[in-house]
Amino acid sequence: MLVHSRKGRWSAWAIFLALFLPLFALPLLVIAVASFSTNWSGAFPSGFTSGHYEKAIRGASLQALTTSLLTAAAASVLALAAGGWAALAAHSLRSRGRRVLDALFMLPVAVPSVVVGLAVLVAFSKPPMLLNGTRWIVIIAHTILVTAFAYQSVSAAVKRLDPAYEQAAASLGARPAYVLWKVKLPLLLPSLNAAAGLCFALSMGELSATIMLYPPDWLPLPVSIYTATDRGSLFTGSALAVVLMGTTLLVLLGLSRIRTKATYR
Amino acid sequence: MSAPAMTAAAPAAGTRASGIRFEGVSVAYGDTVVLDSLDLTVEPGEVMALLGPSGSGKTTALRAVAGFVTPASGRVFIGDRDVTGLPPYKRGVGMVVQQYALFPHMKVEDNVAFGLKAQKAPRGEIGGRVAEALRMTGMDAYAGRYPRELSGGQQQRVAIARALAIQPDVLLLDEPLSALDAQLRAGMLAELARLHRELPDLSILYVTHDQVEALTLADRIAVMDKARLRDCGTPQELYRRPATEFTASFVGNANLLRVAVADGAASLDGTRLEVSGDVTGTEGTLCVRPHLVGLGDGPNALRGAVTGLQWRGSSHRVTVAVAGQEVTAEVRELRTPPGLGDEVTVHFAAEDAHLLPQGGALRG
Amino acid sequence: MADATTTEPRLRQPRDTATGGSWAGKMPGAKRRGRGRTQAWLWALPPVAVLALVFLYPLALVIQQSFTTDMGETSAEPYSEVFASQAFRDALGTTVWLAVGSTIGCLVLGFVLATIVAFVPFPGSRAVAKFIDVFLSFPSFLITLALLFIYGTVGMANGIWTDATGASAGPIDFLTTPWGVLLAEVTFFTPFVMRPLLAAFSQLDTAQLEVASSLGARPLRIIRQIILPEALPALGAGGALVLVMTLNEFGIVLFTGAKDVTTLPMLVYSKAILESDYTAACVVAVVNIAISVGLYSLYRVVSRRAGA
Repeated sequence: MLVHSRKGRWSAWAIFLALFLPLFALPLLVIAVASFSTNWSGAFPSGFTSGHYEKAIRGASLQALTTSLLTAAAASVLALAAGGWAALAAHSLRSRGRRVLDALFMLPVAVPSVVVGLAVLVAFSKPPMLLNGTRWIVIIAHTILVTAFAYQSVSAAVKRLDPAYEQAAASLGARPAYVLWKVKLPLLLPSLNAAAGLCFALSMGELSATIMLYPPDWLPLPVSIYTATDRGSLFTGSALAVVLMGTTLLVLLGLSRIRTKATYR
Repeated sequence: MSAPAMTAAAPAAGTRASGIRFEGVSVAYGDTVVLDSLDLTVEPGEVMALLGPSGSGKTTALRAVAGFVTPASGRVFIGDRDVTGLPPYKRGVGMVVQQYALFPHMKVEDNVAFGLKAQKAPRGEIGGRVAEALRMTGMDAYAGRYPRELSGGQQQRVAIARALAIQPDVLLLDEPLSALDAQLRAGMLAELARLHRELPDLSILYVTHDQVEALTLADRIAVMDKARLRDCGTPQELYRRPATEFTASFVGNANLLRVAVADGAASLDGTRLEVSGDVTGTEGTLCVRPHLVGLGDGPNALRGAVTGLQWRGSSHRVTVAVAGQEVTAEVRELRTPPGLGDEVTVHFAAEDAHLLPQGGALRG
Repeated sequence: MADATTTEPRLRQPRDTATGGSWAGKMPGAKRRGRGRTQAWLWALPPVAVLALVFLYPLALVIQQSFTTDMGETSAEPYSEVFASQAFRDALGTTVWLAVGSTIGCLVLGFVLATIVAFVPFPGSRAVAKFIDVFLSFPSFLITLALLFIYGTVGMANGIWTDATGASAGPIDFLTTPWGVLLAEVTFFTPFVMRPLLAAFSQLDTAQLEVASSLGARPLRIIRQIILPEALPALGAGGALVLVMTLNEFGIVLFTGAKDVTTLPMLVYSKAILESDYTAACVVAVVNIAISVGLYSLYRVVSRRAGA
């Protein structure tokens, strides 16, 4: 406890609320309220309606949601496979090799997403890898963008893993592949799960690269939120945003429930 | 405990009991030598304790047998097999470490079956061998539990059962009891001794910093300090006739007295002392265990002032200054203990006074 | 059986190191290590190959394209053209000052909020920490969307003003200026500073604070002399990360929809998608990469020092 006087404590809390509420809580609240309104000119919105949601879970909007879900799921699985593999491989390298892999796989974090989009667009718009105009170009871009986070999570988890387990298994006659499959991966499962959640959330909200790449038949939710607000339909945009946030949270919640089952210690 | 019980899990009787041999094994991390040309043989069926303070290289020696450190030079043999370059999983040693490293995501029975499955043992055999290993360690009632549901002592037993299930030729125990409290430790010591009677062909390399564990369990003790082997012998040898000052003071307590040597006897402060051991040369170090020093007159009597007195319930520890050196006597509780500064006489028998061999003293 | 008398007393071990020969002894270990390392590299190869195909190769193409003129010749001409344009210079300036400004804002705000959460705990302060985690999993552009309702020309703030004063329009109109972007970026990225700070604070021994205050130090002094030094590595790491992310931020700027707020990522987008001038887009992209990769390397060094 840093502040001992009652007055001091209350003023610290007052400062906290004065900053926290308008900056962080209010924006989310406002989007939620707007998504149920028809009109907002003045201090408060008016015209309660659930119409935006009726639109948001039908037709093109519903399709955008499934597109986002499928893209995020595919990108997460691919990123986890590539990033997890790389992190495990890096762990068995000497320090210099490990640093090279670290640098390579963390590079996508430093490169602007828009530039990742541009690069993928430039590379996959001509044979032999003509993917422009297909959903795969979106999925590839998302995978690149989230792989770094998968790599980072798994890498940290592998480092934390007590080598005694691996060594006990080896002394019992288990070959490295058997140790990986029966001991290391099960012990890493909680971290892999958390990494999957992170990748999924990032991919669900990805806009920068997507907006440069999406084909007409693979239009993810963030793009449709943008087109809605760009048209001036702020309330529809809000409803879509709430759907996006809600779905993301639901998936994260589901994953964290699996996590508690998979945590052994 | 009896002979017939061993048939199921013991290495098939009389086939290939094998020991461990270190030949000039050195291990270095960068410029730091953590094990300096170790030569040591563990005979088949023998319990060898590697005893030493932390950083003495004893765990490194054990890990060189398991295959987790690669010697910079020298060779390691298990039986007649040179295992120096073999990966750990091809060595067939059982290992138990301080924190047990039980797989937290597997039940007890799956932990114990792990090695058998990894080595693709015939399916029909696994169940029986797991049951036998659990029976030997007294854990048969816990087969369906997860490690987190067990106490420290129970986890310890499972770790031992897991190592025994693969029927290793040699068992490596790395400070296996140090995570247990004192009472459990005593129980486990007796348990380990009983296990070894059940599996007489199993060679055991037991790393510990606890002299009681080493004295209780080992057929022989190898004393290590500062990356080197300092002494090796049966517990009795090491205790009664230590080769170095380090052994004398690390295995049990010892009075170490600088004495002059002449005519087959030692002398201190002008008093001639009848001693055993190496009575050549002109001076030496005399080792006498405190509990073998008596108060009052007797053979080899020395006189001096009391400089320390400790009451330890059943005993008194009396420290007496003799010619600038201290002699500690541990005697049964005294009804009228001497006061500090009182002049007293201490004595010890010739066969209890061991003159350390020349050149055996720890240098540096 | 385990009886000392059956094993005859053995000789003390010779200390002679010559047995076996050290050179012969070196061989198997050295060979094994060599094989193990080759194998480890082989395992690392597949993911690296995939990364090279889908990321490094495209990146190389971007760099190649940036040096290619309309005629298909290789030259630095596209760079001199782009550097000469006013739009690029404005974007570069706007990008840098927005990033630096947001980073400073995030550091100050994040430090204040994290210090209160960690050291003046209140019921629900753990929920705040959870909220921060959830907040991080939302996309950035939602903040701009929300700000439109709060500070837009017909939004809440102006609505309260007109209701109170009876004026026909409110005075608040900064959303389409860089200040609107700044506010959104500070809001969105502050949690990225708070998280490492809270982690660092949880490591801090609270006994230190108690001893300090028992010695008569006032809260501000404790913050300056104990908490701040402890927080510096985390602040450095968090600040560098936020700097890189704000340099690369696109969603917030795009949603603002302001014509006069153009950042480098925005310029890449508009050159490539709206003007179809890929060479110019690639030049801007290369400049953007150079700045943010340079800063990111700095962040890695700082965070490694901080042990994060």
